Amino acid sequence: MLVPSTRRMQLQFDLTSLVPYFGDLAAGARLSALACALALAGSLVLGIAVALMRTAASNLARRLAGIYVDLFRNVPFIVQLFFLFYGLPEIGIELGAFATGVLALSLAGGAFTSDAIRSGILAIEPGVLEAAQVSGLSRMAIYRRIVLPIALRSAVRPLGSVFVNLILTSSILSAITLNELTGTAKIIAADTFQPFEVYALLLVLYAALTWLVSLSAGALHRRLNRNQA
Amino acid sequence: MRFTDFTSHDMVLLLQGLGVSVALFAATTIIGLAIGLAWAVLRWYRVPLLAQLAALLAELLKNSPVLVQLFLVFFGLPVLLEADLTPVEAALITLSGNTAAFIYVIAVSAIESVGRDQLDTARVFGLSRWQVLRRVVLPQAAAFALGPLTGLLVNQLQVTSLISVIGVVDLTKVGAILNLRTLKPFIVWTVIGVLYYLMARLIAAACARLETRLRAHREWKGL
Repeated sequence: MLVPSTRRMQLQFDLTSLVPYFGDLAAGARLSALACALALAGSLVLGIAVALMRTAASNLARRLAGIYVDLFRNVPFIVQLFFLFYGLPEIGIELGAFATGVLALSLAGGAFTSDAIRSGILAIEPGVLEAAQVSGLSRMAIYRRIVLPIALRSAVRPLGSVFVNLILTSSILSAITLNELTGTAKIIAADTFQPFEVYALLLVLYAALTWLVSLSAGALHRRLNRNQA
Repeated sequence: MRFTDFTSHDMVLLLQGLGVSVALFAATTIIGLAIGLAWAVLRWYRVPLLAQLAALLAELLKNSPVLVQLFLVFFGLPVLLEADLTPVEAALITLSGNTAAFIYVIAVSAIESVGRDQLDTARVFGLSRWQVLRRVVLPQAAAFALGPLTGLLVNQLQVTSLISVIGVVDLTKVGAILNLRTLKPFIVWTVIGVLYYLMARLIAAACARLETRLRAHREWKGL
């Protein structure tokens, strides 16, 4: 008579015993959020620079930027991460897991960001740029006042999906001993012997978070482009 | 004392890892394609409940990290079902499911890319719903879907590298083993990276060839 009842116990989906660990999860989530925010800033700076290089008149700049994007898009993130994590200390650069993770995320994110911004730049009507050049604006002024505002505005939605991918990719940082959201969940799963509940909760958490991010990116996109046809 | 030089056996290990990665990629692509297309057909026939369930599941799989899905299947599922799962089985289940979710999304948008007027015309001519899908939608949708599919496959190849975390000895795991033994991270990870890069290139080239063939019927053939 005991067997069926224990079996029922096993199949229960019990989240209440995880409540004491919510503080740890929140700390992990904060670390994830910090890494993602820093990586977002890093990949935006890198992405803008690379996008400008890829749309430049100079052949060399275009080729160099093309190689960077091709390389970082076609090699798995975890290989890039291990390359930096184990390689950098070898040449005397000791960064620690967090900084290495942010660097790797920025480098990989930069490649995808540059794609989104590049298509924004290419969508600008040539007449607009010609008008700016004829008006005698300096190259810097054209970039700052005309190219980037137009390109970034029309790239908000694609940038949102790049950011969503960045958040999902940040879970891989747990592989270099960083206790962000996924790393913390691993510890909690080992502690509570309830891996299914822990990881199911985590999955829903990530899905809700990324869903919110893409919703707000969509809203921002609509708001910024509200005067466009 | 550890032996830090590269040996000829490392080459065998590397090829083994490459084989495991390629085999898992191929298997999960085929299974994912079958499941994803089946989900899209459910939607095409507007099967109540199942169609919505497929859409929800696809959304959930698309918007969560593959690593978490992998942990859920490898560590969570055995506890829930009281059955053992090997790392390879867990990798197969997770990656197939993940690929299926993305295939579903691509298939749905490809089906929607075919104009409504064509569907209505075909229906008026008395074709069944299945015939419309098979004869009218599929040839056009396949050509439309190949672009996004290429991107997906190149991405899924890179996703296979995550299974090294649960202990499958794929190319990335071989890299980790060699890295730990030789302590030459630059050489090891560059070689691993180059191998992945070449595979990605191969997939993209193969898809581009297929796309040219599928689009051939639209080319101007001359009079």
